[in-house]
Amino acid sequence: MATEYTAAPYAPADGFYDELFDASGGARPHAETLVSRLERLGAGELAAAGRRRDAIFMQQGITFDLTGAAEAADGELRDRPFPLDLVPRILPADEWTVIKRGLAQRIRALNRFVDDVYHAREIVEAGVVPWEMIVSRSHFARPAYGIRPPGDVYCHVAGCDLVRDADGRWKVLEDNVRTPSGISYVLENRLAMTRLVPGLFAGYHVRPVDNYPALLLSALRAVAPGGDDEPTVVVWSPGPANSAYFEHAFLARTMGVELVEASDLVVRDEVCYMRTTSGLARVHTIYRRLDDDFIDPLEFRSDSLLGVPGLMRAYRAGTLALANAVGTGVADDKAIYHWVPEMIRFYLGEEPILDNVETYLLSDPERLAYVLERLDRLVVKPTGESGGKGVFIGPRATDAEIAAQAELIRADPRRWIAQELVHLSTVPTLDSSGALAPRHVDLRPFAVFGEDISIVPGGLTRVALRPGSMIVNSSQGGGSKDTWILDEEVVPDGRPLPPRRATVPPPLPDLRQSSWTGQQEQQQQERSGG
Amino acid sequence: MRFSIRYRTEYQYDAPVADNLNSLRALPATTPAQRCEESGVRVDPEARLIQHNDYFGTRVVEFGVSRPHDRLTIDVRAKVETSETPEPPDPSWEALATDAYRRAAAEYLLPSDDEPLNGALDGLRADARGDGPLATLLRVSELIPDRFEYRPGVTYVGSTVQDLLDAGAGVCQDFAHLALILLRRNGIAARYVSGYLFAAPPDDSEDSIEVNTHAWLEGLLAAPGDGAPVWVGIDPTNRGRAGTQHVKIGHGRRYADVPPIKGVYRGSASAELEASVRMTRLDSGNGAAP
Repeated sequence: MATEYTAAPYAPADGFYDELFDASGGARPHAETLVSRLERLGAGELAAAGRRRDAIFMQQGITFDLTGAAEAADGELRDRPFPLDLVPRILPADEWTVIKRGLAQRIRALNRFVDDVYHAREIVEAGVVPWEMIVSRSHFARPAYGIRPPGDVYCHVAGCDLVRDADGRWKVLEDNVRTPSGISYVLENRLAMTRLVPGLFAGYHVRPVDNYPALLLSALRAVAPGGDDEPTVVVWSPGPANSAYFEHAFLARTMGVELVEASDLVVRDEVCYMRTTSGLARVHTIYRRLDDDFIDPLEFRSDSLLGVPGLMRAYRAGTLALANAVGTGVADDKAIYHWVPEMIRFYLGEEPILDNVETYLLSDPERLAYVLERLDRLVVKPTGESGGKGVFIGPRATDAEIAAQAELIRADPRRWIAQELVHLSTVPTLDSSGALAPRHVDLRPFAVFGEDISIVPGGLTRVALRPGSMIVNSSQGGGSKDTWILDEEVVPDGRPLPPRRATVPPPLPDLRQSSWTGQQEQQQQERSGG
Repeated sequence: MRFSIRYRTEYQYDAPVADNLNSLRALPATTPAQRCEESGVRVDPEARLIQHNDYFGTRVVEFGVSRPHDRLTIDVRAKVETSETPEPPDPSWEALATDAYRRAAAEYLLPSDDEPLNGALDGLRADARGDGPLATLLRVSELIPDRFEYRPGVTYVGSTVQDLLDAGAGVCQDFAHLALILLRRNGIAARYVSGYLFAAPPDDSEDSIEVNTHAWLEGLLAAPGDGAPVWVGIDPTNRGRAGTQHVKIGHGRRYADVPPIKGVYRGSASAELEASVRMTRLDSGNGAAP
């Protein structure tokens, strides 16, 4: 009964693009080998591999936040473990080439936009993006004004979310240029696949993903402020309570750098140091995995003493690189998203390679009326949030929910955007009975911007495990898939890493007290006439 | 008018503190209405001073004292000359709807997160509205001192406008915050101004007086023709337009964008704060030394 299930009973869902099978149910050319391998393995073998997978993931502690209610930060996937589906998603090389070029183009434009917003404002002067739109974004970071990071790189790590519509065309659903997460799952999934179902790889040249840590480290070193010594890079995590802590630790470990928290860092005379067992050591680049609001209480939230006081001074003085740069959140705001195609034309003089999903800004009263009328067919998102927080999906909403959403929008239209519903593509996925069934997917590729932009082949494919569902978040029944980019040409790996040399710590005392107190401020209370 | 200003702050800590990092926004600005002739900052214990202009254009002086200390003094001195501003334009309400106005208004029209709940200010907002934007500006500067008592001690540096409404009293910072909301809700862009006020007794008998830092605000008025919109200062603590007795440090959306001193230090010691501002007229005509 090894061929208990075959490709034959697999029926692509009507009205959606299936990535491995064509509309008639036949395997697409790049999937033929895979389909025959899956048939050879059979349901029993796959089920056994699934059990081994669960044991390994549990053992390695690859889990996400179980409450699903963690604080919002950009692009963080705050979810339960992503169950890894053993059927990979395969993208042919030519298709990937288009995605890769499209993403690089988009990230270059977003990077220019961030630079422009905090400096010359050319795109505003040219009348392309209204200044009121920019200053009203919750992540517009005034403390970043006038600061030029090394190499003019702002979006060191980007994770744009891509989807395919019913006609198979790729579209960008949202941009994440603050602290996108998920790359650790890409690497862990690949490793697990090669151990659990090595036979599936036979006959395919799948482009490797395991050079990501080396790629990231070399980018973080490339943007470090100049000096003679080998720059010191650290990963800054909010701590074990953060839902993506596993990934923070994973990246520090695989890059061979320190994982630090705020209390490990101190700024003196515009230079950032970390505490080590032998005193303070200079830090050149911080890969920070927390939002602007929590990096320096002197410049951001005055109600918070979290973060490293003085960090912005070091950053402004140019002795420290922060990745991603301060203020990138203005570029991945969901209302600003609307202008990204225009940004590409404005800054690069090119036509966008990847399209946006049709988006409506609600500040215009006519648009607003049009959207309110069609709420049952549209998707509505809050502009300043990410990671699926606060998203309203019209076709799945009850009348009461639609009315409630209309009320929210009317109260503050600028806080929302509306989008046409994308009919997400499907990839065959093992269902609970061990049969292949179409399930909807999205894709988050990861780009690293150092001296140039590199994009890891593939990315994180999230899959909605419930039949018919288009919600890929793991908190709502989502899983993940290994994403294969087929290699048709030999591409050399990332640059080899230069050897690390020890740096001499400066003769500064260690710190005994780790808590901070806000300086008493003075109320302004003068009045004339005594 | 010409003034010398000395703004001295002393923090006395009940236990040694370290890594005491501070940002000062205390140096007079140079604007069309005033010129800062000279200025300087000294701190004790001694520390390196770094200066930059922030997003709002305010001069910021930063320093940090890393070694343990139990006292910090910050001494700011400046000489500044203020001059009369031209008569403000008197635009129509319609003039505030143009693209040029909205672009200049930018964030100064936006509500802030800690405003009183809907409805609480509707009466005041309606009462503040005059025949045009200029009339509204002047009316706000009268309405607030009419309705609220100036009384130090009932609010504190972190108070919200709701606190002012609840107490029925407050100080200039609270009055300015309320005025900002009333103007913005009437469609007039408005920004918080931090500075110094030469609050001389009415008989003009004193040339050198002890004051505090002061807060007022500026509203944006559209200019006739193609002219750029103009920021016009009003002082809801002292009624009417801001004048030559007002020395501006900088502006922002609210107090938190231009605090005179903002700092943080390592440790949990508590501090005694003593601050004084002395303003001396340098061009007085009534007998004092020039």
